[in-house]
Amino acid sequence: MNKSISHNNQNHRTGSASVGGLGIQLCYSFSKRLAQLKGKAKSYLILCLTAIVLAGSFSSCKKLLDVSSPNSVADAYIFTSVSGLNNARIGMYSSLQDKSYYGGYFPLVSECYTDNGTTGGYDVIDLNDIAAKAVQPSNIYTTGIYQAIYNSIYGANEIIANIDKVPNLDATLKSNTIGEAYFVRALCEFDLLRMFGEHWDKTSNYGISIVLNPNNPKQAVARSTVDASYKQIIADLQLAIGSLNTYNGNQYVSLSAAKALLARVDLYYGDNANAASLATDVINDNNFSLFGPSNFASIYTTKLTPESIFELKFDLQNQSSYNTLTYVRSDALRTDVAFLASANLNTFFQSRPTDLRSALVDYVNVDLSIQPDGRTQKYRGEQTKDNSGFIIRLAEVYLIRAEALGNTAGLADLNTLRESRGMPDLAPSDVPDSIHFLNEILDERRAELNFEGHRLFDLARTNNVSTILGSTVNPIMPIPQREIDGTNGIVVQNPGY
Amino acid sequence: MNLTKRTMLVLLTMLALSLTSTTVLIAQNLTVKGIVKDAEGKPIEGASVLIKGTSKGANTGADGSFSIVLNAPNNTLEISSVGFKTQNVAVKGRTTINVTLEEARSQLSDVVVVGYGTQKKSDITGAISSVRNKEFKDQPVSNLAQSIQGKVAGILVTTPSGTPGAGLLVSVRGANNPLYVVDGVPMLSESNSSLSTSYNTNGDEEGSGQNISSISDINPDDIESIEILKDASSASIYGARAANGVVLITTKRGKNGKTEFSFNSFAGLQKVARKIPFLDSKGFVALEEDARKQDLIAYNQDPTPFNNLYPGFDPAVLTNPLPASWNTGVNTNWENQIFRTAPISNLQLSARGGNDKTKFFIAGNYFDQQGIVIENYYKRASFRMNIDNKVSNHVSIGANVAFTYGKNRRSFNDDTYTGIVTNAIGASPLMPVYNADGSYADYTQYQASWLSDNPVKSAKAIKAFTTNYRFLGTVFAEIQFLKNLKFRSSFTTDYTNLIDNQFFDPITSDGAPVGGKAIEGNYRSMTWLNENVLSYSNSFGKSTLNAIVGYTMQASPNPEKKVVKGQGFPQGSGLEDVYDASIITPVILPPPIGWGLESYLARANYSYDEKYLLSISARYDGSSRFASGHQWGLFPAFSAGWVLTKEKFLSKSERLTNLKLRVSYGLTGDQEIPAAQFSNVWTPSRYDGNAGLRPFNIGNPLLSWQQNKMFNIGADFEIDHGKISGSIEYFKGDRTKLLAQSVLPATSGFASQYTNAGLIENQGVELSLAAYPIKTTNFSWNISFNISYIKDRIKSLYTDNEQLFAYTDLFPSHILKVGQAVGTFLGYKYLGVDPQTGNPSYSDSLQPIGKASPDYFGGLTNDFKYKNWDLSIVTQFSIGNKVYNLIRTTYQTLGYSPGGWDANNNLYQVYANNATIVNKRWEKVGDKTDIPRASLIFQNYNQQSSQFVENASFLRIRTVNLGYSFRPKHPVVYNSMRLYVQAQNLWVLTNYYGFDPEVSSNGGANPTTAGVDYAAYPQARTFTFGVNFNF
Repeated sequence: MNKSISHNNQNHRTGSASVGGLGIQLCYSFSKRLAQLKGKAKSYLILCLTAIVLAGSFSSCKKLLDVSSPNSVADAYIFTSVSGLNNARIGMYSSLQDKSYYGGYFPLVSECYTDNGTTGGYDVIDLNDIAAKAVQPSNIYTTGIYQAIYNSIYGANEIIANIDKVPNLDATLKSNTIGEAYFVRALCEFDLLRMFGEHWDKTSNYGISIVLNPNNPKQAVARSTVDASYKQIIADLQLAIGSLNTYNGNQYVSLSAAKALLARVDLYYGDNANAASLATDVINDNNFSLFGPSNFASIYTTKLTPESIFELKFDLQNQSSYNTLTYVRSDALRTDVAFLASANLNTFFQSRPTDLRSALVDYVNVDLSIQPDGRTQKYRGEQTKDNSGFIIRLAEVYLIRAEALGNTAGLADLNTLRESRGMPDLAPSDVPDSIHFLNEILDERRAELNFEGHRLFDLARTNNVSTILGSTVNPIMPIPQREIDGTNGIVVQNPGY
Repeated sequence: MNLTKRTMLVLLTMLALSLTSTTVLIAQNLTVKGIVKDAEGKPIEGASVLIKGTSKGANTGADGSFSIVLNAPNNTLEISSVGFKTQNVAVKGRTTINVTLEEARSQLSDVVVVGYGTQKKSDITGAISSVRNKEFKDQPVSNLAQSIQGKVAGILVTTPSGTPGAGLLVSVRGANNPLYVVDGVPMLSESNSSLSTSYNTNGDEEGSGQNISSISDINPDDIESIEILKDASSASIYGARAANGVVLITTKRGKNGKTEFSFNSFAGLQKVARKIPFLDSKGFVALEEDARKQDLIAYNQDPTPFNNLYPGFDPAVLTNPLPASWNTGVNTNWENQIFRTAPISNLQLSARGGNDKTKFFIAGNYFDQQGIVIENYYKRASFRMNIDNKVSNHVSIGANVAFTYGKNRRSFNDDTYTGIVTNAIGASPLMPVYNADGSYADYTQYQASWLSDNPVKSAKAIKAFTTNYRFLGTVFAEIQFLKNLKFRSSFTTDYTNLIDNQFFDPITSDGAPVGGKAIEGNYRSMTWLNENVLSYSNSFGKSTLNAIVGYTMQASPNPEKKVVKGQGFPQGSGLEDVYDASIITPVILPPPIGWGLESYLARANYSYDEKYLLSISARYDGSSRFASGHQWGLFPAFSAGWVLTKEKFLSKSERLTNLKLRVSYGLTGDQEIPAAQFSNVWTPSRYDGNAGLRPFNIGNPLLSWQQNKMFNIGADFEIDHGKISGSIEYFKGDRTKLLAQSVLPATSGFASQYTNAGLIENQGVELSLAAYPIKTTNFSWNISFNISYIKDRIKSLYTDNEQLFAYTDLFPSHILKVGQAVGTFLGYKYLGVDPQTGNPSYSDSLQPIGKASPDYFGGLTNDFKYKNWDLSIVTQFSIGNKVYNLIRTTYQTLGYSPGGWDANNNLYQVYANNATIVNKRWEKVGDKTDIPRASLIFQNYNQQSSQFVENASFLRIRTVNLGYSFRPKHPVVYNSMRLYVQAQNLWVLTNYYGFDPEVSSNGGANPTTAGVDYAAYPQARTFTFGVNFNF
């Protein structure tokens, strides 16, 4: 700051000197005439010169060129105090709320690329392409998602890179804050891997571009392999688990949240034993519990219920886009609603007559133009539009453990969840082998987690995309064309695009 | 000093006179009166009567009369007036002198305003165009830029929207958004309104839609002249802000003589210039029946595509009779419901006068334009006072003060899914406006699913206002402390307060879910300017030197922009203020940051024998927009002129009375990027009730000016003293170090960063011609014509690859690509209709499919005078420009419906009504047409294709004005009165199918996404009757 001012003045002096020089020359050339002048004219000249000098000094006092905004803070000031660090931490959570990420598009775009959803809207080509499962690399929705996720990574990396600079930082707070940052980075990396990388194939080269610090942001980063991407995500989560030490409520990252996320990652990665063990830790955490059949729907009407392990909280000051994108208003037409529940999801629930979760999708109270499709009821609240982003819920953790343990040991967890949603228990004879069991798990995940952004990734990791969505459907989205252009091809496109 | 001289003179004269025994009183002898008239005997007002060799003089009044006190009875008077040949008359002791001035067709002696001074047209060496008040007065337009449309070579003024008070897209030699300088005060034409009329598919605000121009605050009636500095050498005196050209606006000032009142008024009616012809109910139903018939034929040939699209497709939807709702006899023409014939009026009263010491111009104006879309209007009241006072022979002081109040009832239109015009396009003709009980018909119950609300309800129940207060005031002092040396200092404040209020009634579809919603925005800024200029002029033999040096400071330290939203209003209360809402939330906006600019400037003009002309100038600008170390930039320029007709070999030419060659080269800059892009900043954010900060950008500390290096070569000529005159210019500009948002790898965390990168080369040829083919006592005919050819090509970009841009959240609609023009459209190429099947086909890949900018544009103006009648016809043309008519897909859906049938396969809803152009569609095998067959099931159109890129070349009769003047021989009650009728935008020749080929739904704000038609507010055709009354 000081440096900039002094530099500024230096420039200013150079400028003054040159004009001053001109002025002197002018004065000199007229000095003879000046001598002949009468008093009055002379005093005018003196007046003028005084005015010029005054003007010059006035400007240098006011630092005309050193302007700052009342509404923004320079980079250099952020990590200079504990409260500054906390500002960056709040900002990091806020970045997850971006409309393109957990503010709406990330879960909803992935859902409507599957048999759970479809799209409405005013004939928007890029939106229609999502429902048609034929997304162009230039698609503005997937481009926005890709950018938004890396924006969150940048915020997390700022904290990780600069936390050591913060003076007088309590060690416990420091550890927890850095844990939150590692968690956020891992969450982002995993979401990128699931949406844009071949996450089901550890031997694939089509992983993600890994960015671990904010120091050289303009550097193009080539994609790592899928295996290296997983290793980075797991490493970040292990760091988070080692650092997180405070439970601030389930609207913040906690130790259990990190364990739950790592359990999810391990399940994708194939490390079932570890997944089950982490899931057990989370299930045993007294902060969280499953609702019963009578009140589980309150997950979607009440904030921060004990079923949420990490829930991105929105409020009136800070609204999410879920309601606007999935419901709008009671008499909305198909053109008004961007993301609809598909008729296929209706058929699915019709095959599960006792499933209470079918009430969370409405195919009846919708305009004729929407039928036979319908609307999810998970994001109601047209007045407030402050629907939460559900990042990890306990129900999913039960399903992770069930799947990780397999058809015999895991059945109990599956039944625990079924009971809590009004479904009868499955008998071991219903799931005689792992294939039957996996199908039950996938159905249960579909029933429980529809419109929360899981279906596409579940189908892809279990190699079910071609059978369920169609043989021509690419299980992942294209890397945005903008990224390929912006890195001059260092970031390569996914196969099939 | 003068006093003693004069006393001496008088004494000597008395002595001499007494010696010749004359006994007339000397004092009376020294006063000369007279009348200055033109060849037709009409008095010339405002003519200058000077005592030759002095600065003492008088101006004629409206009756042409003057009165002047001589220094000596043998003085010579120099009588001059713009448009007339200067005449010298020796007084020879006479007391009454009547002078008849001969009309000078030559404009060489016209004084042209240039940056920080004036110059005779004959001395100019840069490319400057000048437009006088008489060429644009009385036009029923709210924005002064509109009145120079088609008049100036190289200047393309586009009306992106017909909204009253809307901003215009002004492009000087292909560069958008010039710097405006109003009486020496530089300002940008910005849209300070935070009110969006633009919403994307999710109901979120996006872009600004209509641009409310701050230049609309300047009342066109107060303007004396508009000068456009086109080349770098004339503009570079405005340095870092001049890269896009400079528009100098000079307001009227006082004149010596009797106070003269002028009353100008017009009133008239406007109506939409072109409506899109839509199908009526019968046509709508017939289209649907044909769509089903064609589908059935296709289904019977091959049902596979149907089953692929709708598994288990039941062809009953193609054969079931249409439900009774399709045969109600209702036939609503929605365009007639939302458009209206609307009045427009203007009242201006001004007074102008003064004496040797003090001169003044004061004016008040009231402009009221009702919109051609129902409910919409723009009203403006403005006041101006320009005063000059001569304190002594050495010191003069003055002030320019203007205040403007504007109120705009915004029309919810342009670039929005929920707009009034947008909703009217494609609404079902079977839908009535009102239900039987008088309530608005519910659009969801009718046949078209395109719209988002009843258009009439949108117009009436979405109430949006923008109210604007603008104060512009300057005080200045000028000190002539030597005969050749003058110092001028001025101080200006420019204050704007702009308030937006928008209320969505709970009955609107946007307001319904939340019980009504409202937005209030408040923008305030105060810009100050201090200028100090020392000027020197002298002649040495045949040489003349004019020079200036100056120092200026301009700053806008604390602009504020605050926006608050509210939702949930007390039911039926009628309350609409945002603070009455149940939920009130502030909106976080990109941080408004002040700016400052500090500048040194110098210029020297040298002429030898009025034959060789040379000008050198430089400005050294320091700007707060950039990081220290990169804040200062030097903008030099050079130009030279050679008047060939002053050379011996041409001086005897009788026909060619003037020929001047000019050449110039200079550097100008552009600094218009959001402030503080040079450093990383964090912006407020919230989570869980806590305030925090999140990274806002990646700063670029190396950021610097965008540069425009322009070379210009031109020639001015006159034949027969101006019977034919003109200019031809060739220019080549390199816009380098473009301030562009470069694509960053997303891994950076950000989409883009402001960078200096890339090169756009633009070059062009401009020709202007003026001629007076006929000039007799009773009849005269003047023609002026201009044409410009401009070609811009991207030579390099931030990355070697292309950059895609999306006009809205639809899809990437534009591309920046090396070798293409800025504003190139991207899409699939439309390959036409198969004559066998009627199906359309498209290219496989996206490609450039046209550009928004024209190849050629210009205008032709004809002025006729016959006795007291005058007639003026202004035409304007544009060739080679294309429009991406994205809204046309709504009214060319050819019967398509995205599944609008019920479980029993009864069709109840299709996408939209269509325009009658679909009557040219393919209907049977062998039909050759480029409009595909109708289809209920298939989308036989592709919005992202050249199918909707239309040739928007046009020829427009912009103004026809017919007037009759009364000039009493002996003015008693009044001096002159002119009555006129005028038609504005009388006729357009174009193949463009939308409302108007001159359209840009992004408000012209962004050249990279220019040329899109998304249901912009149509342009009006206006007929007015007016009076110019001088008394």
